[in-house]
Amino acid sequence: MVTLTIDGKEVKVPQGTTILAAARTAGIRIPTLCYHGRLDPIGSCRMCVVEIEGIAHPMAACTTPVEEGIAVISNSDRIQRIREDSLKLILVNHPLDCPICDKGGECLLQDLVYEFGIDKVEYQAPKPARESLYATPLIRYWPDRCVMCLRCVTACREIKGIGAIEIKGEGYGSQVVVIDAEKCQSCGECLSVCPTGALTENLSRFKGRPWLVERVPTTCTYCGCGCQLELNVQNNRVIGVTTQEGKGVNLGSLCVKGRFGYEFIGSDERLTTPLIKKDGEFKEASWEEALTLVAERFGAIKEEFGPDAIGGLSSARCTNEENYLFQKFMRGVIGTNNVDHCARL
Amino acid sequence: MAEGKLMTLNMGPHHPSTHGVLRIVLELDGEIIVKATPHVGQLHRGIEKIAENMNYQQVITLTDRLDYTAASLNNFGYCMAVEKLLGIEVPKRAQYIRVIMGELSRLAAHQIWVGTHALDIGAMTLVFYGFRDREMIYDIIEEASGYRLTPTFLRVGGLANDITPDFIKGVREFVKWFPTALAGYHTLLTDNIIWRKRTMDIGTVSAEDAVNFGFTGPSLRGSGVPYDIRKAKPHSSYEDFDFQVPVGDKGDVYDRYLVRMEEMTQSLKIIDQAIENLPEGPVNVDNPWVTNPSLDVVMDDISALIRRFKIQSEGPHDPVGEVYQSVEGSKGELGFYIVGDGNENPYRMKIRSPAFILISALSKILPGHMFSDAIAIVGSIDIVLGEVDR
Repeated sequence: MVTLTIDGKEVKVPQGTTILAAARTAGIRIPTLCYHGRLDPIGSCRMCVVEIEGIAHPMAACTTPVEEGIAVISNSDRIQRIREDSLKLILVNHPLDCPICDKGGECLLQDLVYEFGIDKVEYQAPKPARESLYATPLIRYWPDRCVMCLRCVTACREIKGIGAIEIKGEGYGSQVVVIDAEKCQSCGECLSVCPTGALTENLSRFKGRPWLVERVPTTCTYCGCGCQLELNVQNNRVIGVTTQEGKGVNLGSLCVKGRFGYEFIGSDERLTTPLIKKDGEFKEASWEEALTLVAERFGAIKEEFGPDAIGGLSSARCTNEENYLFQKFMRGVIGTNNVDHCARL
Repeated sequence: MAEGKLMTLNMGPHHPSTHGVLRIVLELDGEIIVKATPHVGQLHRGIEKIAENMNYQQVITLTDRLDYTAASLNNFGYCMAVEKLLGIEVPKRAQYIRVIMGELSRLAAHQIWVGTHALDIGAMTLVFYGFRDREMIYDIIEEASGYRLTPTFLRVGGLANDITPDFIKGVREFVKWFPTALAGYHTLLTDNIIWRKRTMDIGTVSAEDAVNFGFTGPSLRGSGVPYDIRKAKPHSSYEDFDFQVPVGDKGDVYDRYLVRMEEMTQSLKIIDQAIENLPEGPVNVDNPWVTNPSLDVVMDDISALIRRFKIQSEGPHDPVGEVYQSVEGSKGELGFYIVGDGNENPYRMKIRSPAFILISALSKILPGHMFSDAIAIVGSIDIVLGEVDR
């Protein structure tokens, strides 16, 4: 165990802990922008700089490990100025996009700018013309909004182990580019860790503001993993899927199906009444008609060819109880063991 | 009717003289009131509860709908309470303009009161004059805010915008003209023998009773207690102005009438001083967490855009704490008690409504009077049900 003081408060943490983690255990807040709980410290944004007594240079709290006996000052006039200047330098290049940005309202950059009360950016710089280099049909990249925190690149490499994107260029002109388009699975991990609106999803674009949607926690219905996700519901319509960092077995990660495959819920192509094929064409029918027909035909087939001529294929989107009932029906009523399930395919 | 048998009579909630939706259940022995039970709650909209789900700037619109005859005074009390919680002080110019708006609202409220009160008792002419002069005030308020009855002109941290030269011109014209109109009111009522007979020694409330009932405002001062928040706890630069607090001596309907009439003169005096000594400067505090940046800046500075976005969508986050702030409303001490929990909306907001306290004394004042005097008494304590029920 290492003992150190943060703002005069004595903290005991294990060897190798960062100053940021030590401060959090002591309940002291240090603002961060690039830091993400599931990623190795990146140290690109300089928001978490702290002063350590005896060291002239301010240190980034997220990347500096604790040492025995050091005294950390989490906030001072100088630190405050450095943090404000870091934010202002990010803002120099930021477009006036908040009103049309999907992230507006839950944007970390907005939160920090408001928290620090920045009311003027004194710096100016030529804005390089940057085009969107990385965009799948589902993910859109806005280079101008990017704050170069490197969360997306790190998440793609560390969480997904894919490494499809990388940073190209140096300093002011750098941006996120795709290095291996074949590898990208459109899982959306990069956009879920993006603190600003630099990576947004195409499906829920312009559909609702964060404070207008209701986030309903639920379990993904696609496979048996049971990933936790939140359906963003506005006016009784699902307009997007988000996750909470570190929540559920998936810890906030999702695959392409879980994150983007929600449109079937409100699809116009869903059936609302049973259809019966008559003369080669589907005709709308009542439930009574349809069920009577099914029962008659099942009975007739069973009579003629035996119960094993019938097989049942159930769905992973049904609940366990429904699937149980289904196999019970197949075995008990029809009398066959031909029961299967789409998730096995 | 058999002797000794009491009659129960419902006065209101649709009675034209109950000033809204007040219902008083009266038990009458002949024409004498034996028991009076005011029933409130017919205009309850749950304003205090709704406020818990709105941010601090949005709640201002709710306060307009308390005592809607003097909407700016409600804004005034609420904004000052939030500012106290946030620990900010608005610039001097804003304080003066707030005083002008508040006193104009008080005048409007008193004009509508004197008109309807006289109408209730049978002097019909005055209601036309009262409404005529109130229109002038509403034109002035409209010039500043764009709205007439519910201006929502005040903001946490200052005002919605600065006033225009036309506003100042309008106020000056009104200040010059209104004493003539007020003299007209006096001619019609003050020495009118019918008016005096209907109001003198009716509904007398002693100073001690008035204090014990919790009376504030003109109804308390009518009983001879010189308590006025503007003097007792000066706020928003009221200490800069020279004005008197009129008091009555008996505490009857006539005294309360005289107090309000004199208050109009005093309000006019305050408005006159404020408009002539109006300081220059901004009308909003310079505080990046509260003040909306102007649209011109927003169009080319991203930090201003972000601030505007955050202030509009969330609004200022208050510190954890609780405050009580009251102003002299047109009916009495209008207080706002706000508990903040560090979020963008109040954890709890309680409104000390002067009219609610006045109304609760009716069951003590009314018994013993003739039924027709009930109308005079209800009118004289000047209640607005929007504020009673909240």
